[in-house]
Amino acid sequence: MASSTSVVVIGGGSTGTGIARDLTMRGLDVTLVERGTLTDGTTGRMHGLLHSGGRYAVSDQKSARECIEENRVLRDIASHCVEETGGLFAKLPDDGEDYFEEKLQGCRDCDIPAEVLSGDEARKLEPFLSEDVEKAIYVPDGAVDPFRLCVANAADAQERGARIETHAEVTDLLVEDDEVVGVEVRHESGPGTHTHGTSGTTEELRADYVVNAAGAWTGEIGAMAGLDVEVRPSKGVMTIMNVRQVDTVVNRCRPKGDADIVVPHETTAILGTTDEEVSDPDDYPEEQWEVDLVIDELAKLLPILREARTIRSFWGVRPLYEPPDVASEDPTDITRDFFLLDHAERDGLDGLTTIVGGKFTTYRMMAETVADHVCEKFGVRASCATADVPLPGSDDFDVLRDYMDEFGLRSPIGRRSVQRLGSRADEVLTTDEPNPVVCECEAVTRAELRDAIDDSGSDLNAVRLRTRASMGNCQGGFCCHRMANELAPDYDEPVAREALDDLYQERWKGQRHALWGQQLSQAMLNHALHATTMNRDGDPARTGEAVAFDAFDGGSPDGD
Amino acid sequence: MAIEDDVLVVGGGLAGITAAIAGAREGATVRLVSATKSTLRQASGLIDVLGYLPDGTGPVVDPFDAVADLPEGHPYERAGPDALADGLALFDDLAGDHYRGSHTDRNALVPTTGGTVKPTARYPATVEPGLASREEATLLVGFEGTTDFEPSLAATHLDAAGVPFEVRAATVSFPDVTAEDATATRFAHLLDEDPGVRDRLAERVKPHLAGESRVGFPAVLGQEGPESVRTSLAEALGASVFEIPTGPPSVPGLRLENLLHDALADEGVRVEQGNPVVDFDATEDRVETVTVDRVGNRVPYAADQYVLATGGLVGGGVEADREQVSEPVFDCHVPHPADRYEWFEDDAFGEHAFARFGVDVDAQLRPLAADGTTEYENLRAAGAVLGGADFAAEKSGSGVSLATGFAAGRRAATELIHTELRQ
Amino acid sequence: MSDATDDFETIDVFDEEPLGDDFDPVDVFDGEDMDLRPGADSCYKCSTCDSSCPVAEVDEDFPGPKFQGPEQWRLKRKDDVEVDSSVMKCSNCMRCDGACPADVPLSQMHNTARAEYVEENLPPFSREYLRNRILANYGRLAKLGSAFPRLTNALMGSSAVQWLNEKLLGITSEREFPAFAEQTFRSWWDERGGANVQSEDRRIAYFHGDYANHNTPEVAKSLVRVFEHYGYEVAVPEQRCSGTPMFANGMLDDARRAAKFNVETFRELVADGYDVVCSCTSCSMALRQEYPELFSFDGTATVAASTYEALEYLRIHEDVADDLAEADAEYPDLAYHAPCHARNQGLDTQAIELLDGVDGVDVEDVGDSCSGISGTYGWKAENYDTAMQIGAEMFEHMEAVEGDTGLTECPTCAMQMEHGTGYEVQHPLQVVEAALCE
Repeated sequence: MASSTSVVVIGGGSTGTGIARDLTMRGLDVTLVERGTLTDGTTGRMHGLLHSGGRYAVSDQKSARECIEENRVLRDIASHCVEETGGLFAKLPDDGEDYFEEKLQGCRDCDIPAEVLSGDEARKLEPFLSEDVEKAIYVPDGAVDPFRLCVANAADAQERGARIETHAEVTDLLVEDDEVVGVEVRHESGPGTHTHGTSGTTEELRADYVVNAAGAWTGEIGAMAGLDVEVRPSKGVMTIMNVRQVDTVVNRCRPKGDADIVVPHETTAILGTTDEEVSDPDDYPEEQWEVDLVIDELAKLLPILREARTIRSFWGVRPLYEPPDVASEDPTDITRDFFLLDHAERDGLDGLTTIVGGKFTTYRMMAETVADHVCEKFGVRASCATADVPLPGSDDFDVLRDYMDEFGLRSPIGRRSVQRLGSRADEVLTTDEPNPVVCECEAVTRAELRDAIDDSGSDLNAVRLRTRASMGNCQGGFCCHRMANELAPDYDEPVAREALDDLYQERWKGQRHALWGQQLSQAMLNHALHATTMNRDGDPARTGEAVAFDAFDGGSPDGD
Repeated sequence: MAIEDDVLVVGGGLAGITAAIAGAREGATVRLVSATKSTLRQASGLIDVLGYLPDGTGPVVDPFDAVADLPEGHPYERAGPDALADGLALFDDLAGDHYRGSHTDRNALVPTTGGTVKPTARYPATVEPGLASREEATLLVGFEGTTDFEPSLAATHLDAAGVPFEVRAATVSFPDVTAEDATATRFAHLLDEDPGVRDRLAERVKPHLAGESRVGFPAVLGQEGPESVRTSLAEALGASVFEIPTGPPSVPGLRLENLLHDALADEGVRVEQGNPVVDFDATEDRVETVTVDRVGNRVPYAADQYVLATGGLVGGGVEADREQVSEPVFDCHVPHPADRYEWFEDDAFGEHAFARFGVDVDAQLRPLAADGTTEYENLRAAGAVLGGADFAAEKSGSGVSLATGFAAGRRAATELIHTELRQ
Repeated sequence: MSDATDDFETIDVFDEEPLGDDFDPVDVFDGEDMDLRPGADSCYKCSTCDSSCPVAEVDEDFPGPKFQGPEQWRLKRKDDVEVDSSVMKCSNCMRCDGACPADVPLSQMHNTARAEYVEENLPPFSREYLRNRILANYGRLAKLGSAFPRLTNALMGSSAVQWLNEKLLGITSEREFPAFAEQTFRSWWDERGGANVQSEDRRIAYFHGDYANHNTPEVAKSLVRVFEHYGYEVAVPEQRCSGTPMFANGMLDDARRAAKFNVETFRELVADGYDVVCSCTSCSMALRQEYPELFSFDGTATVAASTYEALEYLRIHEDVADDLAEADAEYPDLAYHAPCHARNQGLDTQAIELLDGVDGVDVEDVGDSCSGISGTYGWKAENYDTAMQIGAEMFEHMEAVEGDTGLTECPTCAMQMEHGTGYEVQHPLQVVEAALCE
């Protein structure tokens, strides 16, 4: 189906990439622009819970129903990004019996399969659960890797003809005669895959329609056209444990509150969270009390957490939205529902729609709503197929292989690689070249890294999100420089050096919130390795100060 | 019944070993107990003394000159003016021909695996031909399937660092090794044991040589006999051969550890490795006994003088939880900001407070309590357990260990002799 | 392969009589796999374990303890069952435990992973499983051997049997089976009428293990005489293998049965004021470290906290250092090798320190390398070359020192020392007996 309708989608998070995929599948000509790497905003900063809907089963049953519906869809179309962990709502003695019953009833009302376990049954499932846990409700929560899911959406869109531009910040909306006719973007290193050290360019992207899917930043985009989008960003902390203390999602069974969920995520467990409204989604305090709170509170459910190693913490900013007339005081009261703001209808400005609110689990449904809306505007009749067509990597695949025979990999490394790559495993891992493990913590091999570099250029943070390299317990101390080494020979030394510095700094950013116990020892060892052994901090190439080489010792007179 | 000695050194890294030997050379019977292997093999095997000043100025040409101007409280200042020279002299004596650099007070600049250069005061003989101040065309050789060292990037990086010579790179497959996760010790062992491997390696490198007079390899050129490995390769290549120190596991670090352990045996120091000190008994002024945990059994050890050389945050000599920083063996005071968020800077290479964590000591190297009084009159501290300097940023770790280890060990032994004379 | 299976099926070496029918494994272990992922929290990737691993140095197919331990565990999800096959190349020398600066429970991780691997991947009728099980249960075989020592020694020494062992079972024909003693230690003990010294407050319960009982009763006798010299009442209770060879072969069920029996026996004695003393450093290692890491029977921790190696015990409780310094003995010059498991308990220097002071005794250390045999490891045909490559350094050092007699606490290290150099090998307790007992 030929269509010349061109759409610019702003925002490379789950919603934006989902919209790009959906519109492209319906034959539209899509360009997606993202100011950083994909998932740089809120998508890359969530706890990885694939909601069963159980969390909303009492307070927001509409959302709960959407969640269980999308939960089933994603298990199907994104199987390589989803782990079917199951979830528990565990009741401690302080948690009300009435609420437990309401939760159970709410799940049943919303068609969320729910089963009550005794405390002992729950502990048999999760041995580190506190002896204090009296009982629990088992629901089909899952864990999802938002990075790979988002990347898969973008890759599929790209495969179908979309243009995906990362490191392309929207600097202006082009408005002509009360109509948005495109955007102006600043490419950090020119269009195409990212290359450090390449000078930036500006581009005007003219389009028939613009979708503002910038999440917590939708307000800032709207303001470029003088619009008032009342997004209410709310921050929350996520603290990452070094290992999985649980293989099941564990929720505390009580009404809204901070620090009530542990999600097994890949090799780690993520503790969440807090909920505090912030004025600027780019500049807000990341505070110690938040980290201490999630550890101390969740240690009531899982006492092992009190002394367990955390490797970093990060904050996400929820793009909450409520119609201005609601005016909730407490951000936890703001609905998690999503809203489509058609600015033609709302503000008399054609050519632009903003999508706000919502949550990761229902990203596909939000994208479908937006795509329907855009298609209707342009009379495109193609219907949505995103719920049925698997994402790249999620075609039928089998995790259980003979890794040594097929890929020359040791079994845990092969297994983790296939769990990440899904049906792309053969394409990525089959190689005649030596394929050493580059990131030992996460079992990422050279072949997988090279595949990610092909996709995302010299941006090692984007490579990290695709592969999980440098996301394990050493937080890149032992592999950041190895990853940079993999940029050769495609990229030159200055590019590799800058990419390494960026990645190392990014890894440091999150680790700062975990600097005690074992992670402080790790940080000191990393510091010793990078500063002492490699002298990266005093590197003359970095400081730019010329060294008088002839003033230094050139060896002993009788040496060789 | 406690196991008794004159001096008990707790900790078996460079500082502990130096203290033990310095004490033994004063005539004391010395025992060294350490919980685990030391962190020596995590380090490059270079003996850094002072490469950069605390304010980041550098690289420093003459570290001895610079050490004299360090601020009060810096471990070098605490150890006293001669400690560094004494400690290095002891090291030079122990290391013999295996290490170079004692002919001058100047630092040498050693190429790193990342392609930077790093100032250091003593370096293994295997590193010497590669020094960056030598104006000799250089070929860097890496191995396929290894990930830490990419010679092409290292070569261009050295160029960017302004080295006064031409650098080229080559990657070859290491003979006889097919496994991609073979350990560094495997490469070293093969080169030690099998002359055929050396020949085959040289054959693979040869076609890449274009007149360079020196060839650098990652530091895996033999664990037992690096000189013989290097000589074979050099003869076959017709160029001098050098090692580029690596991160952990570091073969030069392992060689240094072996060398120092042989020295301990020669000096009559009794060494017990593998069990931690978990408790101690003390009067108000003196440590009386310490308790070693031997796989669950508590065994008492007694000495007249004690040296604490348990390392820093990596070695386990300094620990932290979310509330505070502590020294786990004798519970000595470790100064630190009360607010955990003041332990670090936002820049990865910033002036981190945590990198300076450690005990404060008096001019006798005796740890100080929070009120500034000495913790125990017969307890001294040496090495990375001392606070007040960012060894990593200064490139001063080994020098501080040698200086403070020497001073602590010798003072412990002489104190003992004085005590005995008084009695 | 199946032929061998059938042959050995008829010899019921694994069925252990002391436990009989009433043993119920569910009681003690609950059938749950151990989750050791939190043990990976301590690892900061420094690789000191890898550079301490004697196997990785000579065999590149073994990726080293860091991968086998914290990395492999950390990558596990609940339903993932695969353990990499390379875990079977670990010799269980446990040097990584002693090397790790960060308290990662490496050998516990290896032991548990190996047991999982064996359960998932070695069919009970495979040659490898059968061979490993036979080697792991040496005590069962030894019992048969000791019943007819001369016949067994002649048979095991015959090249035909050695050839068959290699072909059928994969037990190397390069090694000679250790000779069985004409009289076991226990039989000597019974004949002697048990303890010669009675004491209310000085009591030790001797864990002799299978080897000192069947093969080197002279070591066990030395222990009895030395402790009686110091006025100790010695008890020699019924006991089973410490479990060391079973851990090393992933036969955790066998180990659990043996350990349970031992803990039950010795905890009673500990309650009566006995301390547990071993002459073999692998046995003391098992009781002190592996039992509490792997099992939780009543009394496991108590027995562990009351277990000592013999010389270590004397050093803590008696003035043995001074007594030996004043003693003399006529003894050939000795080349001492510290077993890895002694090293792991911090006991690698005590034999030299104590014995070198005895007038007339000259002991030299042969360095800190591993002997390479690691119990049953070096008996397997596929490991023989690796074991000998690891041992090469020790052999060289043995040749280099003065003594032509070996000295070590570990019976399998002794086998390797003898195999590599032809030296006779003694146990430190024999030297102590010569120095202190008339």
